[in-house]
Amino acid sequence: MPSAIEVHGLTKHFGSVHAVEDLSFEVDTGRVTGFLGPNGSGKTTTLRMLLGLVAVTSGTATFGGRTYEKLHKPTHHVGAVLEATSFHPSRRAEDHLKMVAIGAGIPLSRVAETLELVGLSDVARRRVGKFSLGMRQRLQLATALLGDPEILILDEPANGLDPQGIQWLRTFIRYQASIGRSILVSSHLLSEMEETVDDVVIVSEGRLVLQTTLADLAGRAGTSNGMRVRSPEIGRLIEILTATQVAYRPTAPDTIAIDGATPEWLGPVLAQNQIVVYELIHDRGSLEDVFLKLTQGFAATFPGATAGAGAGPGTPHAGPAPMSGGVS
Amino acid sequence: MIAIVRSEWLKLRTTAVPWVMAGIALLINGLLILVIYLNHDSNGGGFGGGGSGSSATISGVGYPHTTQQLRNLVGSGFEGYLLALLLGVLIVTTEFRHKTVTTTFLITPVRPIMVAGKLLMAAIAGAGMAIIMLVSSLIGGGLTLVGLGGSFSALLHQVPAVAPGMILVFILFAILGVGIGSLITNQVAAIVVTLGWFIILEGILVSLVHGAAKWVPTGAAEAAANLTRNRGDVSLFLFNWWQGTLLMLAYGLVFALVGSMILTRRDIT
Repeated sequence: MPSAIEVHGLTKHFGSVHAVEDLSFEVDTGRVTGFLGPNGSGKTTTLRMLLGLVAVTSGTATFGGRTYEKLHKPTHHVGAVLEATSFHPSRRAEDHLKMVAIGAGIPLSRVAETLELVGLSDVARRRVGKFSLGMRQRLQLATALLGDPEILILDEPANGLDPQGIQWLRTFIRYQASIGRSILVSSHLLSEMEETVDDVVIVSEGRLVLQTTLADLAGRAGTSNGMRVRSPEIGRLIEILTATQVAYRPTAPDTIAIDGATPEWLGPVLAQNQIVVYELIHDRGSLEDVFLKLTQGFAATFPGATAGAGAGPGTPHAGPAPMSGGVS
Repeated sequence: MIAIVRSEWLKLRTTAVPWVMAGIALLINGLLILVIYLNHDSNGGGFGGGGSGSSATISGVGYPHTTQQLRNLVGSGFEGYLLALLLGVLIVTTEFRHKTVTTTFLITPVRPIMVAGKLLMAAIAGAGMAIIMLVSSLIGGGLTLVGLGGSFSALLHQVPAVAPGMILVFILFAILGVGIGSLITNQVAAIVVTLGWFIILEGILVSLVHGAAKWVPTGAAEAAANLTRNRGDVSLFLFNWWQGTLLMLAYGLVFALVGSMILTRRDIT
C-alpha cells in the first residue's frame, strides 16, 4: 500500500533537549494511524515538523516525497488540527474560515459546507471567543477540511472534549477514513483511540517504540498477566503456594494475585485441593497496559530513567510487588 | 499574492484593531482641528471677520485663510502617522499574540511571502488611513471654516499640495510598522519599542547628535512629506522627498527582510 506520510530519521534538538531522535514511520493511505505516546514524548514536535512549522534538525518528513513547504497549495492536500487556541477571539467562526479559504484559494462555498459537516452552522456568525473548547475543536476540524485534503493530521483532537464529543470525534474520524482520507491522529491515551485507529505508531522519549497494526497490539494485550483468586479459604491456598514456592500478592483480605499464572495451571491446583472459590479472574492486560509497558519499559533503557521503572507508579499492578523482576 | 492580501484584509477588518485605530485617529483629528481654530481665536481677530476667502489678508481674520494655514488644516490629521505605524506593528504581532500565525503559516508555508503580503496590506491600510484623515479634515475643518465665513473651495484648493505627501508618509510608516513587527513579534515588546523610539529616544538622539535629524525615520518621513508641499523652511535640514522616501522604505524593508529571515528559522510551537 502506498504511504501518505513518510518520516525518515527525523530528529529535533532544542538546544540540549532531544525532543525527537531518529524517528521513522509511515502512514498508509486510507488508514487511521494513531500516533501514541506519553505527554512530552515528542508527538507535537513531530507533527509540527511534518507541517513545516518546526525546522528539522535532521531527517525528512514528507507527503508523497514532498515536504509540506514544497506542496503545491498545501491546504488542498493536508489538513491540520493543532492546538485549540489559535483563533482570534473577536473573529466570527465564518470569517475565520473565509480568511483561510481566500488565502488558500479555496472556493468560499466550502465555508458553509465544512461548518455543516462539523455541526457549527448555527453558530457561524458567533465570535470564536465565545466558543466552548469542543466548538473550537470542531472549528479546527472545519478549517482542516476546507481544502478537501486527502491527508488529515490531528494533534490531540480529543483534548478537552466531553464523552459525547469524543464519541462524535470517533465517528467523524472513521467517516473521514471511509471516504478515503489518510489520517494521523495523536493521543496520549490509547483507550481514547483504540476504537478509532487501524495502525499505531508508539513513541516514547522522542524515539519510535513500535509501529504495528492495532490488531497486532491487541494480540499482545491478550497474553496472560496472571490470575486473581477470591476465596473464603484463601489461607489454605497461600499455604499451598508457599509450599510450592509460587509467588503471590495479597490484594484484599480474601484475595490474592498470582502474577504469570495461567488458568490451565491454577484450575487443576484449586480442584485438587478442593478450595472453594468465589471469584476467579484472568488478568489479561488491556491495550492500555500494553501501551504503558511499552512506553515505560522503553524509557527505562535510557539514561536518566530510573532502573526498574516497570514497577514504578502507573504500571497496572502498582503497589508492593515482591516478586516483580522489574527491568534491570 | 492577491489572494494573500485579500485574506489579510479580511483578517484585518474582522478584528477591532483597524476600527479602534480609525476611531482614535478621527478623535485626534477632531481635537487638532479644534486646536487650529482656538489658536486663531487667541491670536486676535474676532469671529465673522470679513474677507471672501482671499488669502491676501494677513491677520485679523478668525479662520485659516493663508496658504499655509489652509494647508495645515487639510493636513491636520498628519500626526496620525503614528497610528499607521502602530497598525503596521499590530498587523504582524496580533498573529503571534493569538497564535493565528500557525494557521497563516499552514496556508503560506514560505514565510517571507507572508511578510510580503502583510507589507502590501499595511501599505494599502496606511493609504486608507491617510485618506480617512484627509476626508475628515475636509469635512470637519471645512464645515467649521464655512461656518465661520471662510471659503471651502480655497481649502479644497490646497488638497493637491498636501494629500500626496501625507498619503506617502502614512504608507511609509505602515510599512515600517510591519518591519518592526516582523523583527519583534512579541506584541507588547514591539509596541513599547516603537513608541519608546518615536516618542522619546529619537528626540534625544536628534538633540545629541548633530545631523542625525535627516537620518532618523521621522526626519526621512518629514522629507518624504515634501513630495508636494515644498516647505523651504524645513527642507534645509532634510533630504529631498525621494531620498527621504527611499530611506524610510529602506528602514521598513530591511527590518522586514531581517525579520523574515529570522522567522524562517523560527520554530512555531
